[in-house]
Amino acid sequence: MAEPLVHITNFRMDFGDKTVVRDLSFDVHAGETFGFLGSNGSGKTTTLRALLGIYQPTGGVLHIDGKVFEPRDGARLGYLPEERGLYKKESVLDVMEYFGRLKGLSRTGAVSWSRAYLERVGLADKVATRLDKLSGGQQQKIQLGVTIMNEPELLILDEPTQGFDPVNRRLLMDIIDEQKRAGSTVIMVTHQMDEVERLCDRVILLKDGVAAAYGTVEDVQDSFGATTIRLHCTGTLPTSELYDVVSTDGRSADLAPRPGADAATILRELVTAGVAVTSFTTERTSLEEIFIRVYGDQHELAEA
Amino acid sequence: MSQHNLRTVVAFEFLRVVTKRRFWVASLAVPLAVAVLFTVVLLSNQSTDQTSQAQKNAQFSFTYTDASGLVTDAVAAEFGGTKASDGAKAIADVKSGTVEAYFAFPANPATEPVHVYGVDSGVFGNGKYSAVARQILVTAAQQKIGSPELSAVAQGNVSMTEEMYRAGQLTSGLNGVIPPLLFLLIFYVSIILLGNQMLNSTLEEKENRVTEMILTTMNPTTLIVGKVVSLFLVGVVQMATFAVPVVVGYLFFRQNLNLPNLDLSHLTLEPQAMIVGFLLLVGGFLLFTGTLVAIGAVVPTVKEAGAFFGPMMIMIFIPFYVVSLIVSDPHAVIVQVLTYFPYTAPVTAMLRNGLGSLSLLESLIVLVEVFGLGYLALRVAVRLFRYGSISYSSKLSVRTALRREGAG
Repeated sequence: MAEPLVHITNFRMDFGDKTVVRDLSFDVHAGETFGFLGSNGSGKTTTLRALLGIYQPTGGVLHIDGKVFEPRDGARLGYLPEERGLYKKESVLDVMEYFGRLKGLSRTGAVSWSRAYLERVGLADKVATRLDKLSGGQQQKIQLGVTIMNEPELLILDEPTQGFDPVNRRLLMDIIDEQKRAGSTVIMVTHQMDEVERLCDRVILLKDGVAAAYGTVEDVQDSFGATTIRLHCTGTLPTSELYDVVSTDGRSADLAPRPGADAATILRELVTAGVAVTSFTTERTSLEEIFIRVYGDQHELAEA
Repeated sequence: MSQHNLRTVVAFEFLRVVTKRRFWVASLAVPLAVAVLFTVVLLSNQSTDQTSQAQKNAQFSFTYTDASGLVTDAVAAEFGGTKASDGAKAIADVKSGTVEAYFAFPANPATEPVHVYGVDSGVFGNGKYSAVARQILVTAAQQKIGSPELSAVAQGNVSMTEEMYRAGQLTSGLNGVIPPLLFLLIFYVSIILLGNQMLNSTLEEKENRVTEMILTTMNPTTLIVGKVVSLFLVGVVQMATFAVPVVVGYLFFRQNLNLPNLDLSHLTLEPQAMIVGFLLLVGGFLLFTGTLVAIGAVVPTVKEAGAFFGPMMIMIFIPFYVVSLIVSDPHAVIVQVLTYFPYTAPVTAMLRNGLGSLSLLESLIVLVEVFGLGYLALRVAVRLFRYGSISYSSKLSVRTALRREGAG
């Protein structure tokens, strides 16, 4: 198998006495779209900043294309940081041209690319407008344009849809999809699980600075009980060693089979227990469900 | 790529300043004020000249008495005067308006006042009486001397040439002092005009959250150096903006403005003083820029940065509080301290260099110090920017940032 484009081994990051990430290892292969998932504060942005040399890691190896990232490799990188911002007092075109030049484009190349992009995202009339005169969503579009204008080999997007309405989110996801089809490797931090299921080949779930799950979307779904059983019934669901009740309203219920338990055995046990089952279907557990299962207790604690 | 990025940063940073209306409003405000001042002075001088001439040549009827014997009837008649026989009556004539004025010249005009009595012509019009009385005395004295040359000498209208020697060598005196002190002037103007911009230059990346985009696109050293170079260029444009109206005013309106005729051909450019002055200017600029940029990288907002600006400005003015000591006793302890303390060194050393009291050895020590510390300040600024500007909303712990490895 080819060398991974991104290789992280035993990454550890301490801030003073606090360990934010510990012993994290994963690879991202060229051409794939990789979902980097986790609750707020789980260490995702810290990992990306360490990968890009913004933070100095406490320990471990973080390589892009076999070496530690240096700014001079920036021409091959597109990075949309979590903390967004551009030079707000300058015009849209001036800022885009500046970053295009820094990323190795010629002046005319940067300008013509910028004009075409602005046309596409509906901001052609904002070429000479100062950035601080644009709405938050419009600024986000400019930032995304700056990120992809050098047609990067590696595109790192930290919560790219943050602040977008549904229409613009769709536009953004289409643009990311295009980058993917053009051959870019994409690492995407997001809380939008539908986006992950739609775009990502593989994912990693980070919890408290360690990987809670890692692999293809299907692998991760399978590792969290593979399926959800959705049933309509009357009668009280009995407590069982075979499943956990995810939700119930008295007439329908979602059950999460425990490892080793198959659907047929569960159905038999329900019927034997006197539950009148009117429908019984199995569905693969959604990433959103897995996310809630992994981080739910954390949120409950936070709310408490 | 690094050179390309440096050029890109310099062009972007320079153009974004000089293409702003605000920059030109601020820059042109000073020359505009100078132009207004020049115009007022010009008009005022013209008016004063006319008034003065008119007063001296004013023709009116007056009488006089002369106890000194200097004023002849011919001179008095030239100005329209007639001799009075009785001072008291002459004063009464003035009071009654029969004559416009009466002058009582004393026995010794050099030690005693000339008494002038006149019919009131208003605050400004009354000046003509004294002006004419004075002119009568001057004319009478010149006639008494009998020689225009002697009169000129008596009035102090003489020119001098000077040759001063130090250790057997001819020194250039004041003509050699002015050129190296121009570097001090440039230093002051650049720090005062650009200091705030230096302080805020990296804050912009921080406040606008651009840091991560920058740090993954180019080396922070390139950004910092690019900003320093562009600031320098902005300073050149600003100084040119200030200088042009002054030079134009001097070249074309010198006579009208009563400006002294500066014969620049007399200025002497002493190689050592000029080279040291130039290097002190560059080193001092480097030191102050590096320090201000470093402060900007540590603090989270413009408001907090402002607290550091005042003390930095005070540093460059401290030497002027002891300027008389620097001139009279350059080896005094306080002058030595100011010469070697990093943030007072550039100004003190430039002053002493201009005045000729900074030895070559002292120059070398100060130059090594300001260049060394300036370079160090820029390195620290790069490192603090590298780690400090990512601390978007909090003040960076300098110790933490400097402890990190692999910066810059």
